[in-house]
Amino acid sequence: MPNRYTFQRRLPYLLLAPSVIVLLALILYPLAFALRNSFWFWNLQTSPMPLYHSGWDNYRMVFQVTPFAVALKNTLLLSFLGTFAQFWLGMGIALLLHTHLRGMGLMRAALIMPTTLAPVVAGFLFRYLLEPKGGLLPWLLEGIGFPVPPQGFLGNANTALFSIGLVDTWQWTPFFAIVLYAGLLSINEEIKEAAEVDGAAPWRMFWSITLPLLRPIAAFLVMIRFMQLFNSFDLVFVLTSGGPGTASRTLSFNLYREGLVNYNIGLTAAMTWLVVIIVSVIINLYLFFIYRKREW
Amino acid sequence: MSKCGISRRDFLKAGGAAGAALAGASPLGSLARVAAQSDSAINVLTVGDPWDLALQSVTDQFTEATGITVNIESLGYTALQARLVNAFLTQSADADVIAVDQMWISQYADNGWIRSLDDFISMDSDAHFDDFLPECLYSLSTWRNQVWTLPIASYAQGIMYRTDLFETAGLDPLPSSLADAGMWTWEDYFAILEQINGMDLDGTSMYGTTVIGAQPVPVVHMYSQLSASYGTRWFTQFPEAPWDFTPTINSDANLAALNDWKRLYELSPPESINYLWFDAGTRFSQGDIGMFYHWTPYFYLVNNEGYLTGTPSPVVDKFETAVLPTLTAGGDQVVSLGGWSLGMPSTSANQEAAWQFIKWATGAEAQKAMGEVNVKGYQFADFSRQSNYDDADLNAIYPFLGTQLEMMKLGDGKVVRPPAPIYTSLEGVYGLQINQAMSGQVSSEQALRTTQTLFENILRGNQMIPYGVESFDDTLENTKALQASLSGM
Repeated sequence: MPNRYTFQRRLPYLLLAPSVIVLLALILYPLAFALRNSFWFWNLQTSPMPLYHSGWDNYRMVFQVTPFAVALKNTLLLSFLGTFAQFWLGMGIALLLHTHLRGMGLMRAALIMPTTLAPVVAGFLFRYLLEPKGGLLPWLLEGIGFPVPPQGFLGNANTALFSIGLVDTWQWTPFFAIVLYAGLLSINEEIKEAAEVDGAAPWRMFWSITLPLLRPIAAFLVMIRFMQLFNSFDLVFVLTSGGPGTASRTLSFNLYREGLVNYNIGLTAAMTWLVVIIVSVIINLYLFFIYRKREW
Repeated sequence: MSKCGISRRDFLKAGGAAGAALAGASPLGSLARVAAQSDSAINVLTVGDPWDLALQSVTDQFTEATGITVNIESLGYTALQARLVNAFLTQSADADVIAVDQMWISQYADNGWIRSLDDFISMDSDAHFDDFLPECLYSLSTWRNQVWTLPIASYAQGIMYRTDLFETAGLDPLPSSLADAGMWTWEDYFAILEQINGMDLDGTSMYGTTVIGAQPVPVVHMYSQLSASYGTRWFTQFPEAPWDFTPTINSDANLAALNDWKRLYELSPPESINYLWFDAGTRFSQGDIGMFYHWTPYFYLVNNEGYLTGTPSPVVDKFETAVLPTLTAGGDQVVSLGGWSLGMPSTSANQEAAWQFIKWATGAEAQKAMGEVNVKGYQFADFSRQSNYDDADLNAIYPFLGTQLEMMKLGDGKVVRPPAPIYTSLEGVYGLQINQAMSGQVSSEQALRTTQTLFENILRGNQMIPYGVESFDDTLENTKALQASLSGM
C-alpha cells in the first residue's frame, strides 16, 4: 500500500494527467491521422473513403502536381522578411513610445487597431487601396514619382508577394511594438543609469543592455510571428489567390487548394506532414541557437 | 500496392444499389399529399450568385401554394462545396435541397451523395420535363444516363459591345443571330479589337476588351470558350464511350488559342490579369471597354454600375449583344454552357417536399416570376426552358433572349469544361499555367507542355488513366432520348 510520501510524490503527475491526455489527444491524434492518410489514396472527388494503400505516391505527387517548391520559396521569403521587418519596425516604435513624448498615450491606443482587424478585413481594405484604377496607394506613389506596375502591385509577379508582406507588416508591426514596449517598461532603470554613469553611448546601451534584456520576450515574439507568417493564408486568399501565376503562392494556400478545392485528402495529408517537418526543423534550429548559451 | 477491402468499382456498385433502394422506398405516391401539409419545412442551401436573389424574392409564392416553409441559406462557392462535402461525409441531413455546380455532379452522383430524380420526374407530369432545353439538362444535370438535378440557372457565353463606339469607329453592328453570322470569325473579332483599342470616346480612352485573368478558375471559364472554339479538347475520348482520359490539351489548336488569348490580354487593362468574373463585368459597365465576351448573365448585370448598387451604369442603352464568332467562316461552334441546378441530398429527410420545391423553382412559372423580379434592376434571365424563351413578357424585359437561346443551343458543357471526376484538380493546374503564360512567366508552349504533364500525373495518380470504371456514352443524343423517355413521349 503506497505510503503518504509516495502519494504526495505522485500527486502532481496525477493532477497533470488529464491535461496531458487531452493535449495528446488534440495534438497527436490529428497528426497521426494525417500521417496514416498520407499513405492512402483518398480523393473525395472519386470516392468518399480511402481506396487503397498507396505507399509514397502522395509524397511524390506533392512535388509532381502541386507548385510545392515555389510555394515553399515564397513562404520562406514572406516569413523571414516579414518577421525581420516587423520586429525592427516594432522595436523602433516601442523605443519611440518609451520616450514619453507628448501624444504617445493616444499613439498606443491607435496602434492596437490594425491588430484587432480580421486579416480578411485588412485584405479587402488593402485590395481597394492597392487597386490600380483609383486606389489610394498607387495614386499617392505615382504622385511622388514612384513607378507603379500597370497591372497594379497585386497583379505584378514581382510585387504581389511583397504587397502581401506589406499588408501583413501594416497589421502586425503594432503587435511587436506594444509587446516590446511592455518589455522596455520592465527593464530596471538602475541598470541604464549605471551604464550612463560609466559613459555608455545610447547606441551602445541599446545593443548591450536593452536588447539583451528584451531577448526572452523578443525570442518568443519572433518565433510566434514566424510560425503565423509561415501559415499565411487569409491575406493571400483575399489579395491575390496566390497569383499572378504562382508569384504569391504559399504552402497554406497550396494546402487549401488541395484540401478544400480538390478534396485530395491523401495528398493534402502528405503535404501537411512535409510542412510540419519543415516548420519543426526551422523552429528547433532557432531554439537551439537562441537558447544554447542559456545566458538569458 | 496493397489493395484496401473495397475497390472503387465495388463502392460504385454499392452506391448504386443504395440509391436504387432509396428510390424504391420513396413513397412517390404521397407527393400530392405533401402539398397539403402546412407544417412541413425544408432547408435549401444555395450559392450567392445573382439568381439566388431572384429565387429568394419569389419563394413566398411556393409557401403560399404548398404550405411548405423554405429556409434558404446562401453561401459562397467554396464555402458551399465545403459545407456540402462535410455534410455528406458525416451523413448529416444538412439540407433538403442543394445548389449543385455542374462540375460537382459526377462526384456527388458516383459517391451516392445525391439521389437520382428520374423516378420523381417520370411519375410527376407537372414537371413538364420536355420543356427543358436538352443542352441545359445535358450540361448541368445528367450523369451516366440519369437526371440528378434540374437546372435553376443556365449560362451560355456571348458578346457585349458598345454601339456608340462602333458608330464612332464606323463599324457595322455585330450579328445578334446565327443567321447573320455566316462570315463572323475570331479573326474579325480581333481586327475590331485592334481598331477600337486606344480610341477616344467622349474623352475616355477605350480598351479594346477585357479578360478574366485571375487563376485558376475564373481564367479557365473565359479561356476555355476561346480554346473550344479553336477546336481544343481536353481528353482523347469523353464524353463518348469508352472514356479515355489521356489528355490532349497540348495541341496545335490550343497553342493557337493561347497565343490569341495573350493577344486579347494585350488589348485589355493590364490589371485584368487578376480579374474575377464580376471585375470584368463591372469594368465593362464602367464604360472604358469596347467589347468582350462573358457568361450571359452579364447581358443584364452590366446595366448596373456594380452588383446590386441600383445605380444604372454609363453603358445602359449603349451596348448590344452578339453571338460568338467561329474559327473559320461558317465553321463549327461549341459554346460553354454552365450554371447551377438543384439537387436532393440522399440524406434529406423531406424528400417529397424537396422534390416539390425543385419542381416549382425550376418550373416555367417560377422562372418567369424570377425574371420579373426588379430589385435594383432585373436580376434573372438565365432560363433553361424553351417556354421562357418564347415568353413575350420576358422578351420585353430581356431583349437579348433570342441571342442567348441560340448560344444555349450550341452549348456543350461536357466538352468545353468536361465535368469528369477530378475536374477541379485539372482546372487548378490549367488555370495556373494560362495565368503564368499571360504574365510572361512562361511561354505558351511551355505552359501547355506543363499542363499536359500535370494532367497526366494527376489523371494517372487518381487512377483515371487507364480508366477502370464502366464508361457511359454520355452524348447529347442520349440525353434527348432520356428526356423523351422520362417525359413519357
